[in-house]
Amino acid sequence: MAKKNEIPEVDIIVDHEAGVIREVKSSKLRSQKAHERRVNRGIYILLTIISIVWLAPFVFLLLQSFRSYLTEDGGMVAYLIPKTFSLDNYIFLFEDGTYLRWYGNTLTIALFVAVIQTVIVLSVSYALSRMRFRGRKLLMNVILVLGMFPGFLTMIALYFLLKQLGLTQEGAIPGLILIYTASSGMGYYISKGFFDTIPKSLDESARIDGATRFYVFRRIIMPLSKPIVIYTILMAFMAPWGDYVFASYVAFGKSNSYNVAVGLYRWVNTQDYQGYFTRFCAGGVLVAIPITALFLMLQKYYVEGVTGGAVKG
Amino acid sequence: MASVTLEHIKKIYDNKVVAVQDFNLEIKDKEFVVFVGPSGCGKSTTLRMIAGLEDISEGTLKIGDRVVNDVEPKDRDIAMVFQNYALYPHLSVYENLAFSLRIRKIKQEEVHRRVVQAAHILGITEYLDRKPKALSGGQRQRVAIGRAIVREPQVFLMDEPLSNLDAKLRNQMRSEIILLRQRLDTTFVYVTHDQTEAMTLGDRIVIMKDGFIQQVGTPQEVFEKPKNLFVAGFIGSPQMNFFDAKLEKNGKDYSVSLPGLTVKLDAEKAAVLSERGINSMDVILGVRPEHMNIHFEPTGNAAEATLAVNEMMGSELHLHVLMKRQDEDNIQNGKSVILRVPTLDLKEEQRAHLKHGNLLYFDFGSKVVQLFDPQTEESLLH
Repeated sequence: MAKKNEIPEVDIIVDHEAGVIREVKSSKLRSQKAHERRVNRGIYILLTIISIVWLAPFVFLLLQSFRSYLTEDGGMVAYLIPKTFSLDNYIFLFEDGTYLRWYGNTLTIALFVAVIQTVIVLSVSYALSRMRFRGRKLLMNVILVLGMFPGFLTMIALYFLLKQLGLTQEGAIPGLILIYTASSGMGYYISKGFFDTIPKSLDESARIDGATRFYVFRRIIMPLSKPIVIYTILMAFMAPWGDYVFASYVAFGKSNSYNVAVGLYRWVNTQDYQGYFTRFCAGGVLVAIPITALFLMLQKYYVEGVTGGAVKG
Repeated sequence: MASVTLEHIKKIYDNKVVAVQDFNLEIKDKEFVVFVGPSGCGKSTTLRMIAGLEDISEGTLKIGDRVVNDVEPKDRDIAMVFQNYALYPHLSVYENLAFSLRIRKIKQEEVHRRVVQAAHILGITEYLDRKPKALSGGQRQRVAIGRAIVREPQVFLMDEPLSNLDAKLRNQMRSEIILLRQRLDTTFVYVTHDQTEAMTLGDRIVIMKDGFIQQVGTPQEVFEKPKNLFVAGFIGSPQMNFFDAKLEKNGKDYSVSLPGLTVKLDAEKAAVLSERGINSMDVILGVRPEHMNIHFEPTGNAAEATLAVNEMMGSELHLHVLMKRQDEDNIQNGKSVILRVPTLDLKEEQRAHLKHGNLLYFDFGSKVVQLFDPQTEESLLH
């Protein structure tokens, strides 16, 4: 064994208070290392427990989804692991058109929202970061305060507005897209913080070089803001993907307009809970797959995006 | 190629801070003008107004014969080099240089020709494929300058382009800018807080303080004939020595005196003073450190001082001396004065004498004297 972690006999430490250089016996250092190791061990144990707690429901869901609805009981069973693993639930979801319809609805809404909301959020953030106009500060503060009220306070008012426009029930999908994107600009905060860290002189230099504001935004700022663009897209995609509250009342009563969350809930709530439970679980797994994949692919950017404001690049 | 004319330019920020006051200047075609002053004096603001990055609150700005107050930066036909280089980090050096040309939809062959030529002038040809991140500070600054060159603009604006470089590189780039200027032969406006840069680069220097122009002139003019106390102190390194002194008039003659030292002013200066009707008064006397003569023995007419610090600069010594204490009320008590003495002028035993606490004597000739009014701080001579 190489003595890689060998600790030197003596350590030289500058004591600034006393203004002298001291030689300190390394036993102190050694005990420090040991202490560090103990702390690390504790942290890892804690993290393991937390991840078990977090992952347990998902594992449970996954296991249920493989329990056939044809041969075993539905919701209330006294065991966790299916007696036989089968894909019956999934086959049902794909053969019965309803689920695919819901899935398609959700995907349509989420994709539209992701695109529209990203464009709006980034444009608003850029304008607030770079341009100085009357009422800018006031606008930012008002948006911040408004953002503190939960969105569903407006539920009833929104419902009646959408109804006037014919965007409920059959028209729920464009209606929901409208709801999700309408307040997009309010989410400027994180991306504005990111843009603020890009030196202003880049904009100025490009403008002197002959670029318009839009050209600067597209050719200079966007390529430098990949993490925040991806973060914004992810956020914009996820909110409608998992939404239940708005989707449930805007599409109320029209199965064709449901998104996955509402549809699946209807299955277990208003229909045969025992019978549909395992199919409900399978549906849940399918919902989780794209979002998990997206996260795994983009997590590097996502972390950069969240912490982007903190560290100057 | 164009002149730049600033007429009564004023800048007031939204928070009512006045950054630039009544700025009048005509920058001639192909002239190299340097704005210099301490931070917050409005020099950068003025430059940014010329660039179009700041709105002009009052006054008229012309480039050539065109009033450009409300013209967008991109339409002013100027190029600017920033202190932090402002290179586009995601583009290669080549694309950085080509950026402005591509916006202008210039043909590919022409873009290539100009980029290669600029890279050649600045010696960055081998870095064309690199990203700015992979370049050193000096190389980045060259790219920034190159980006301005390819434009072939009417006016070159430079905002403290050398401030982020280390001292050695700064000297090198300074001489390169002089060469570049000769080569490009166009109008330059250059901002710096470093008086050495201003002196070495500018055809004319504009010295600013608190938003006001203090003096405009050639490097020699501002050095030899500073208009006021601020300019006298700002230009020149080490700084000019200032003394509280007495100016005395005897018939036609004038003399200025410090404790232990009286200097009769030459006829030229006396003529100026008498023309202005100046009588005996308290004045602020200014003498540059290099114009002081050092003596090791009392000469009968020399100020006495104690050596505090001896800075060996190589070819010369900077001696910080404290003037001799006369009495408790004397303002000159402990007054610090700097003498610049060429090392070769001193004998071995004289240099040995230059130790902390030893007595020295100094005087100066009449030719080098500057006189300022203590109230207005304006020069009495210029």
